[in-house]
Amino acid sequence: MTKYFLLVTLLPLFGFLINILFGKRINSEKFSGYLSSFLVFVPFFITFLVFLDFISVPPESRKIVLNYFNWIAAGKLSINYSFVLDPLSITMVMVVTGIGFLIHVYSIGYMHGDESFARFFSYLNLFIFAMLNLVLADNFLLVFLGWEGVGLCSYLLIGFWSEKKFTGDAAKKAFIVNRIGDFGFMTAMFLIFANFGTLEISGFLGNIAGMPVNSVLLTAIALLFFLGATGKSAQIPLFVWLPDAMAGPTPVSALIHAATMVTAGIYLIARTSVLYALSPTASQIVLIVGILTALISATIALKQNDIKKILAYSTISQLGFMFIALGTMSYGVAIFHLITHAFFKALMFLGSGSVIHAMHDEQDIRNMGGLKNKMKITYITFLVGAFAISGIPPLSGFFSKDEILYQTFINAGILPYIIVLFTAALTAFYMFRLTGLTFFGKARYDENKVHPHESPRTMTIPLIILGILSAVGGFIGLPHFTGLPNYLERWLEPVFTNANRVIQLYKPEGHHAVSVEILLLILSVLVAAGVIYFAFKKFSKQERFEKEKGFGKILENKYYLDEIYDKSVVEPVQNTSEFFLWKIFDVKIIDGFVNGISFYVSRLSIDWRKIQTGIIQDYATITIAGVVLIILYFIFA
Amino acid sequence: MLTQFGQVLIFMIIAAGFVAVAFIAARLIGPKLPSKGKNSTYECGEDTEGDTWLKFNVRYYVIALIFIIFDVEIVFLFPWAVVFKEMGLIAFIEMAIFLIILILGFVYAYAKGDLHWDKPRPVIPALDRQIFKSEI
Amino acid sequence: MEQTIISLKNFIPECVLIVTILVCLLADLIVRKKSAVVAVIGIAGLFVSGWFVIGQFGVKESVFFGMVVIDPYSVFFKLLFIVSTVFIILFSLASKEIKDSTHTNEHVYLMISLTLGANLMASSVNMLMMYLALETVSITSYVLAGYMKKSKRSSEAAMKYVIYGAASSGIMIYAMSLLYGYTGSMNIFEISSILSKMGGTNPMLVIVMVMILAGFGYKISSVPFHFWTPDVYEGAPIPVTGFLAVTSSAAGFAVLIRFFSVTFLKSTTMLNGSLQIIDGIRWTEIIIVLSVASMIIGNFVAVWQMSFKRLLAYSSIAQGGYIMLGLVVANQQGLTAIFVYLVAYMIMNLGAFYALIMISNKLNSDDINDMKGFAYRAPAVAVGMGIFMFALSGIPATVGFVGKFYLFSALIESNMIWLALVGMMNSVVSLFFYIKVLKYMFLSKPDEENSGKIYYGIAGYVLLFILVIPTLLLGIYFGPIVRFAEMSAVMFGLK
Repeated sequence: MTKYFLLVTLLPLFGFLINILFGKRINSEKFSGYLSSFLVFVPFFITFLVFLDFISVPPESRKIVLNYFNWIAAGKLSINYSFVLDPLSITMVMVVTGIGFLIHVYSIGYMHGDESFARFFSYLNLFIFAMLNLVLADNFLLVFLGWEGVGLCSYLLIGFWSEKKFTGDAAKKAFIVNRIGDFGFMTAMFLIFANFGTLEISGFLGNIAGMPVNSVLLTAIALLFFLGATGKSAQIPLFVWLPDAMAGPTPVSALIHAATMVTAGIYLIARTSVLYALSPTASQIVLIVGILTALISATIALKQNDIKKILAYSTISQLGFMFIALGTMSYGVAIFHLITHAFFKALMFLGSGSVIHAMHDEQDIRNMGGLKNKMKITYITFLVGAFAISGIPPLSGFFSKDEILYQTFINAGILPYIIVLFTAALTAFYMFRLTGLTFFGKARYDENKVHPHESPRTMTIPLIILGILSAVGGFIGLPHFTGLPNYLERWLEPVFTNANRVIQLYKPEGHHAVSVEILLLILSVLVAAGVIYFAFKKFSKQERFEKEKGFGKILENKYYLDEIYDKSVVEPVQNTSEFFLWKIFDVKIIDGFVNGISFYVSRLSIDWRKIQTGIIQDYATITIAGVVLIILYFIFA
Repeated sequence: MLTQFGQVLIFMIIAAGFVAVAFIAARLIGPKLPSKGKNSTYECGEDTEGDTWLKFNVRYYVIALIFIIFDVEIVFLFPWAVVFKEMGLIAFIEMAIFLIILILGFVYAYAKGDLHWDKPRPVIPALDRQIFKSEI
Repeated sequence: MEQTIISLKNFIPECVLIVTILVCLLADLIVRKKSAVVAVIGIAGLFVSGWFVIGQFGVKESVFFGMVVIDPYSVFFKLLFIVSTVFIILFSLASKEIKDSTHTNEHVYLMISLTLGANLMASSVNMLMMYLALETVSITSYVLAGYMKKSKRSSEAAMKYVIYGAASSGIMIYAMSLLYGYTGSMNIFEISSILSKMGGTNPMLVIVMVMILAGFGYKISSVPFHFWTPDVYEGAPIPVTGFLAVTSSAAGFAVLIRFFSVTFLKSTTMLNGSLQIIDGIRWTEIIIVLSVASMIIGNFVAVWQMSFKRLLAYSSIAQGGYIMLGLVVANQQGLTAIFVYLVAYMIMNLGAFYALIMISNKLNSDDINDMKGFAYRAPAVAVGMGIFMFALSGIPATVGFVGKFYLFSALIESNMIWLALVGMMNSVVSLFFYIKVLKYMFLSKPDEENSGKIYYGIAGYVLLFILVIPTLLLGIYFGPIVRFAEMSAVMFGLK
């Protein structure tokens, strides 16, 4: 099957080309939508076959490097266009194409009637192409290319409805904030190339395996990559773009800003796990940033009223959970949570899209209510998602989140554990605030004007599938004490063998009683259940909303972070740029220089042009003169 | 010992000398009795008319070019004819190809009408009176 | 006799071309009107010839008593010529100028004749053969330049071209006779070994080199032998201009590079991958002078041109300067860089000329002023032209960048950093005029009376697309052309 593996990336690219070039001319929603979906499904199918191949071979041989061609060869720099197939990348590809396919199908219904239907699907396909390059690449440059590619698609899709001004602003914000992260990524790449002379990931990881723990160079590289990851995966301090990115169409939020692109940072760190295992300092920072992000964004989510904003902050918070797992060096757990999160968060975003669709583009949950009878399927699937994210057994979120809690407890200590547990409780709280206000109680909208109805089948079927996945997805990674096999851990093991070996060098494996694990588990379930009960009781009947005061107001305004960023970063930058860089440096120096060059170029051009008189005698004379001059120069010089 | 070029040089000097001697001798020995008729340009007994730098019609050049092509052909044919017997069939084929190409060129020139000698078509002045015609 | 027959086996591609010319000529006589049939026959012949050329890859033989050689170097150039000729013949089918001329199908076999001459230029190792091949190319290009009999400009261009060309080749053949007189041989390998024994301090050799450059330099329109270029490019029909810019000047490079690389070698070996030049001979310095002069004059004078064809003329003068930079390095790497650049140059120049044909077919003009707002009238063509302009100026992710990148890195690795800097500075200057075209097309609004949409047939778009694809694709994925260039950078007689 690996013979045809190039198709996995080529088909979405092909879909992009077809839709962008001919989509408008063909002008058929059916054609564009189904073609794009199909071209994402086939890669999923191929990858699935490869997956089946892989599980039938012993773990040591679960790694294939597919070398397609020598892409750049210049001096010392030699870069191959090559893919690495191992459990990690196959998992990522299956998540991207699988969920991507469902969201494509959903979009057929959601985008129905949109003017630029084909353009939308072409961007989606391009995104899939870039994302697959990112997760499959075997060298940092190709990863970076995919990294930038998904950024570009994100930019294009956030600003998709370009007639609204704020979509343009949001798109720009996402792009600019990500540039800061890209700076980190690029610097890390330069450092790697300068010190190791290669950009190949496996080569680089092999080179560093023998280096001492916590060396300055590796810590620097790890932190720079992490800076890149905070940009793409929306962590402190670069998370401000994600809530704004909700201006894009909802399927985009589900695909790019919940399930796939934002997990690129997690993937990057998991891919370079050896690097982080060798630098406990960097891992510590990852852990702290993860905890802070999870906590802060969960508190912000408590007081938001826009259905998509709540989900966005929830996403940031859940990404924080994944970084916590990475920070505790439990890479497999992070990937586990990545998968389950992709299921239930995509589900909830699609559910919210269904609600928005039904409510005629109303996004404020204060103006909803009582939708559970009007939209049965959306309601049930959304509820499954909410229970899953809150950690109610046996839904998928329960297993992955408790694994993170457990790892925090044994690797980071009691205080971080309490914070994370508290954050998990907050998650359950805001999720059921959202569910209660949206689906329960009385309708708070004008029932004469808005008639909510269930969405078409192209939208509900993906919801149902994702609902089932969110419900049972957790069984791929059962906790140890159950005595049942943990499939995911076993599957991913070969990828993290080296990292685990490194960790064991300086950190003796701790033994914890099974009873502790069970105790923690029961504790977190009790907390979640209690909070859900409380939140549900409070919000399912709430009808009046008062203005927020005190801390609530701070939360509603997202700790005024946007304002703080504006005052502390954006304005000074703008001021320097306007008063120094633009008015003095640019206008006087650079412009002066450029204008000077162009002035002299023009002058010389005007003068020299006159040599070309059009009279052939002159030409001959000048030519002969030139020959004689050159001869004289070389004879006498 | 002279090289072969040296011999050629001597040959050329002798040739030039021969011509020079002839001219000088004529100059020295011949009588000089100029008259108007003798000094005029020779043009078949007619009085000359116009400038010597007159333009020739371009048709002359086309003919001249084609003539040169066949002239060159003859130059090739002579040595070929000399060794033809020894070289046999291959020489024949080679020359045949050469001639075919040449003839094709000639056919081309002919088919395109380049050999067609456009006669000048002087416009005969038409008169509005018909008297002369009837008189003739 | 035996050897002639054996040599013929290695001469099949050229024989096929000759037969193609004759068949086309006959077909033209039979059809007797403008028809695509002749062009199709011509293209078919070119393909057959190209197929045989590919078969010659890897051969290293000297044929016809040391007149011509078959080596990867010549095979590369022959393929380049054949591919570009196929494109140019297709262009001429599309061109209105050719369609409106009084001739029927002569351009097809004239172009193939030029290709034949160019092929010989690329493979000849004898000065006499070089001269004859060069004249074959020259004479056909004179005729092609004056193809539009009714146009005064075209005739003027042809006339200037003839006079200038005759003078240049006169200078060259004189220098060749001097060299023959000095060494007693016409074969460049023999000259090389004789000169190696005699040493190169004789000032006459400088005269010889510069004067021979007058002949080759006029083919590649290098300063100061470039004067014909703007006038001829402007007067000739656009497909012919493109043909001169691509095939004819590439042929000039083929013979120039071989002549200078071989003739002044210490012995016919390459040591350490670099050419060992006979002591006292400084041909690389002469090339540096010409190259820098070409880049500067070409780029600077182009800035104010308002005729697109003249602009492209100066552009190709400057591009010739870049290519000569690769010759200065005088080693394998430089030669590889030249080959990469030549491939890039062919693709992007063909593209630019084709886009220009499409534009001027509809506008009946090549004045940049008339192209105001063309992007609003025919967006696809304008975008295509934009891509080719970017490629010519060497913007990354286009094939033009790859070419420049390899040239400059070859220079830098040979420690000629200042030359690389001059080259880079010049490519910045070149942005001025390449972008100027785009400015007129994209940023100016069209005049009111000429603002209607312009449509082309599907074939036109397809051909444009065929040229856009490699311009972009090879800019990203350039492994194959580099490898191809590396394999081709092997000359007969050099290791």
